[in-house]
Amino acid sequence: MDTLRGQEVRTLLAAPGTVGVIAAADAGGTPRLSVSRHLELLDDGRLVHLELFESSETSRNLLRALWFDRQVAVILHGANGHSLELQGKPVKAHISGPVFRHYYEAIRIRLGDVGLAAVWLIEPEAIRDDSLQTRRQTEKELFPFHLHLDQLAKKEGHRHA
Amino acid sequence: MAGRSDLTFTEVVQKYPELPRLVILKTDVQRRGVHYTASALSALDPDVHSITGTHIFGTRDGKIDARPESLLLRDGTSIITTPTPLDQHPYVVDLLDGRPFLLDDGKPLEEVDYWPRPDFYAKTTASGVPMKNIVSSRPQRLNIFPYRYCTFWNNGKGCAFCDIVCQMKKGKNELGIPPRLEAAEVAEVVGEALKEPGRFSAVFLTSGSITAGVQPFDDEVDYYIEILHEVGKHFTTPKYPSQLIATAFTKAQLERLYHKTGLMSYTADIEVLDEGLFNRYCPGKAEWIGYREWKRRLVDAVEIFGRGRVSTAIVAGIELAKPHGFTSEDEALAHVLDEAEELADKGVSTVFIVWSPRPDTTLGDQKNASLEYYVRLAAGLHGLREKYRLPIAFDDYRHCGNHPDTDLSRLLPF
Repeated sequence: MDTLRGQEVRTLLAAPGTVGVIAAADAGGTPRLSVSRHLELLDDGRLVHLELFESSETSRNLLRALWFDRQVAVILHGANGHSLELQGKPVKAHISGPVFRHYYEAIRIRLGDVGLAAVWLIEPEAIRDDSLQTRRQTEKELFPFHLHLDQLAKKEGHRHA
Repeated sequence: MAGRSDLTFTEVVQKYPELPRLVILKTDVQRRGVHYTASALSALDPDVHSITGTHIFGTRDGKIDARPESLLLRDGTSIITTPTPLDQHPYVVDLLDGRPFLLDDGKPLEEVDYWPRPDFYAKTTASGVPMKNIVSSRPQRLNIFPYRYCTFWNNGKGCAFCDIVCQMKKGKNELGIPPRLEAAEVAEVVGEALKEPGRFSAVFLTSGSITAGVQPFDDEVDYYIEILHEVGKHFTTPKYPSQLIATAFTKAQLERLYHKTGLMSYTADIEVLDEGLFNRYCPGKAEWIGYREWKRRLVDAVEIFGRGRVSTAIVAGIELAKPHGFTSEDEALAHVLDEAEELADKGVSTVFIVWSPRPDTTLGDQKNASLEYYVRLAAGLHGLREKYRLPIAFDDYRHCGNHPDTDLSRLLPF
């Protein structure tokens, strides 16, 4: 991930109201989604996801992705409409040691009486701006045949002018 | 697969794409053992890492040296390592760019972490004993080995693969580890350990068998009750996540254990799933309890502890030891899985450890089984848990880390 994109992700993650959702496939290949309670971008470009529950579908699916070298996706959506989708692979799960302890203490300070199953590290491989403005612009520029004609049509006032 | 499979790690990974490479690697490292290079040992920091010392069982090279207690893989599971002489062709742990890596024939395979040291390892008890000599730790588990002798050895009937007594003598002489722990001192250490946030998710207790008592093994049961009761004083709940690996007790003994302590799961290791081999390799267990009674008691334990809270372990590979074992891995696997299924049907999980032939044991000069055998066994035992919906959370990667089959069960939704 380049520096500019990294800063964009960090800014979005730091903004109040930003929601992060993780998507990973289950055993049958069905995408399963869950809201992440904590996402963070490390200096080395890896994304940290704190998985609170060992028994969660996400926990199993992140493990499945790590074991079988599959991608997962994370979408970040800010209150201002800014959206980024990251695709990558889970590469490590910390369950003990200083990294685990750091996040264990941090999440309990933030959320109260919760546990922490693992600190997952996800290596982003691609990032895409999924904001409405950006997508609309892309659609107009690259996919003109997808537009509805009324969006291009002259408005009443224009036609009679 | 006639006789013995000779597939390499890479070939097994290719043949079983539905099984995770990391679990296959872990299994092979346990099978072949590890050697730590001088460089790898130079990265070992006693203030940061757990260092060998309090193992209840010995190593394949017969030494008690300062080495990493064990390794963590990047999926969070552990490899309980057995340092092994280089002439036995073990995996090698060496540094690459300053980080520990597992290598095979010089080829880097995986980055690994040494087990982190818990805070309490730096402290001593009120009586001046280093706390690490009373209670030891895995990445998420507190290990209590309260009694390092096994009375089956009194008349020479210890298990043929076990070196607990030999290791006890080494531990006592070389490390000053008390052979029998005081319950209050154990509880003191547990109390200190619990001060470390997020470090532990289970209390684990095991020792050698103690035949003495009004009824055989009553003294062993009483001793566990005493320790678990003292440890339990640190918790707000009557039950706390815990596992006991012990002798197969009678129903009355199990009820006492369950009702008088916070114990939540129970394991009685049958060691080998074949009556004839059990009688041969576990003569003390055979003499005092017997194979069929051992199994009956495991099933009784399900009534008390519940389905998914009772297990038995096998030392996988001894069923193929010469000259009395199975001569074909196919035949051995079919037999073991058949017997494991009988137990699973009654609510008892079977897990395995990879047999490490150790020098101070009767079977110490033999070879363990092939990697493919262990991988098929792991898949088979995991499959039984899936079929019979048997949770194994109390003995999984987080709470133990020594069973490739329960690593696979991390994907089970129950």
